[in-house]
Amino acid sequence: MPSENRAVPPVPVEERLFSLVLALLATESGLTKNEILSTVQGYRQRFEVHGDNASLERQFERDKDDIRELGVPLETLEAPGDPGNNQSLRYRIPRAAYELPADISFSPEEITLLNLAAMAWREGSLSRESRRALLKLRSIGADTTEPVLGYAPRIRTRDAAFGPLSDALARGLTATFLYLKPGSAAARLRTVRPLALVQHQGRWHLKAFDQGVGEPRTFLLSRISGAVKLGRQPLELAPGDYAAEALAELDALWEANVAEIEVVPGMDAAVRLSRRRGATLSTDGVISLHFTDAALLADELAGFGPEVLVRSPEHLVEAVKARLRLAVDAHSDGSGGDSDGS
Amino acid sequence: MAADRDRPAKAAAEPLAFAQDRLTFLLALVPYVLDAGRVTVAEAAAHFQVSEKQIRDAVSLIAVSGVPGETTQYQHGDLFDISWDAFDEHDEIVITHRVALDDSPRFSAREAAALIAGLQYLQALPENVDQGVYSSLMDKLARGASESPSQVAIASSDSTGSLAEVRDALARGVRLEFDYLSSRGSAERREVDPLRIDSDDENWYLRAWDHLRQAVRTFRLDRMTGVTVTDRPVDEEHGDLPLGDSLFQAGDDDLVVTVDVDPDAVALLGEFMAGVDTRRLEPVGDRVRARIRVAHLNGLTRLAAARPSAVTVVDPPEARAAVVDWASRALARYDG
Repeated sequence: MPSENRAVPPVPVEERLFSLVLALLATESGLTKNEILSTVQGYRQRFEVHGDNASLERQFERDKDDIRELGVPLETLEAPGDPGNNQSLRYRIPRAAYELPADISFSPEEITLLNLAAMAWREGSLSRESRRALLKLRSIGADTTEPVLGYAPRIRTRDAAFGPLSDALARGLTATFLYLKPGSAAARLRTVRPLALVQHQGRWHLKAFDQGVGEPRTFLLSRISGAVKLGRQPLELAPGDYAAEALAELDALWEANVAEIEVVPGMDAAVRLSRRRGATLSTDGVISLHFTDAALLADELAGFGPEVLVRSPEHLVEAVKARLRLAVDAHSDGSGGDSDGS
Repeated sequence: MAADRDRPAKAAAEPLAFAQDRLTFLLALVPYVLDAGRVTVAEAAAHFQVSEKQIRDAVSLIAVSGVPGETTQYQHGDLFDISWDAFDEHDEIVITHRVALDDSPRFSAREAAALIAGLQYLQALPENVDQGVYSSLMDKLARGASESPSQVAIASSDSTGSLAEVRDALARGVRLEFDYLSSRGSAERREVDPLRIDSDDENWYLRAWDHLRQAVRTFRLDRMTGVTVTDRPVDEEHGDLPLGDSLFQAGDDDLVVTVDVDPDAVALLGEFMAGVDTRRLEPVGDRVRARIRVAHLNGLTRLAAARPSAVTVVDPPEARAAVVDWASRALARYDG
């Protein structure tokens, strides 16, 4: 590094990014990388006319990614007479694709809902995205009437896999992770192309094309173990409403599965289970309950302990009993085994 | 006035920590000021819910920014200009010369997706909002995004229990009565001043001043029965009670319990882990060990029975015995 670079006071990152956006919005025909690095504020201070600008070029590549991530349509144009030559590529931001369409406006009632929608993500993986979306909304000048709602709704994304998977989804990358299917002894490595992330019955699911089996599959995020690794090359994907499909599939599954559970009247299980969507309580204290995933329901029913007696289906009964036995074993002291429950 | 109390916790004026977010702010502020013509720093700060300093810093930066221009030298006409008199003397923002930027930016695919999924989640709210409003809003967000929004969706839940009644009492500033099954298992008639409705994915909670306990308590909506919206007004003096973002606070008289948890399942512990640094848990075999505070053993016992392969109570002995008792009694029902 030439020493004179150190003397230049650093230009703040947002000033460099802001200047880049302004410069690329202002140009019709586009600017070459060399023009950008040598003239745009934040780059020009570090540009070496006859030197090596490799680190500055890498900075420009990162800045392009950062700007695109904000929804700024940064375009690359090949020179007509010189295709394939990186040095003659031109960059620009077409105004029509950058600006919010003029006919989009929001009523105070709509702004209220959007504020609540954004607030719901305040601790989730999409909290930064929601906050940026709100800044853009406020940019239109729409004032909220600040109606009193008294709500603090919150969407949780407690599954560590949510962040990397939503990243893979947005960027069209593959994701590789260890997945433990209920009933299998060990987690297996899966490589998938994410199609949609959906929350159903309070749980996050990933619909993805499983490259190992060559078919789409639905994964429960809480069964992903360890780190999620992302691929490098974006893959093209046939357009489709994968999220709606995934939710419809989960709903169909929910509709088809029914458990019968005897409950003790007035206890926690009776009060809570009978208020679930689609639950019916018969006069003899048996709740019929729809479910999507037997293992998850078994967890929950085992937690209710003696407040419930699962009648059917049989595999659910066995799953609940297995959990209870394991709980007794894991918490009994000594080798004598003072459990007589089973 | 009840109205002041009911306001949900607002995203505080936190500084924008990332350069990307500060850039978004700059790109959002310019069209807003252009549109307004003249706006005070205080108004802009209130509008964007940022600090006045953030507004002043942004305006100072915008005022010296622009395009390289024909000379590539950032000449005067290539830069934004503001009325410095208005800014320095009256704390007002007036852009007198604009460059390159006119209108608000589009949403990114992920930004639109976050708002759309949030709206899907809110559809269960008993707000008398026409369902058509939601679909028209989602359509606008999709059209206002630079790429089609990421596929993130949330199934609308309709198991919101007594939400409509609770919401009604909160809005009208009247007391609410209901039978409540505490997590200890005892049922009681409660009379409360509703303060705030919180949700956590599928679960809805009410924080309220409990007249029986003379304290703020958190109630699960799906444990309330026999809900009555009274016409007795709430006590004004509870309006200023601070309500943190955390639904449950650990108390000093709580029991400390040691648990071993599968590292992949630490999130299961949820609110139990309030106040525990989950990144620094002691490894024990293939598990991690956490010391958590609980007001009583009931909730933890249920969790240990529900997920015995992921959570084991290690200490104290009475906590382990409670799990054995709970699970054994459940198993005994299948023998009968």
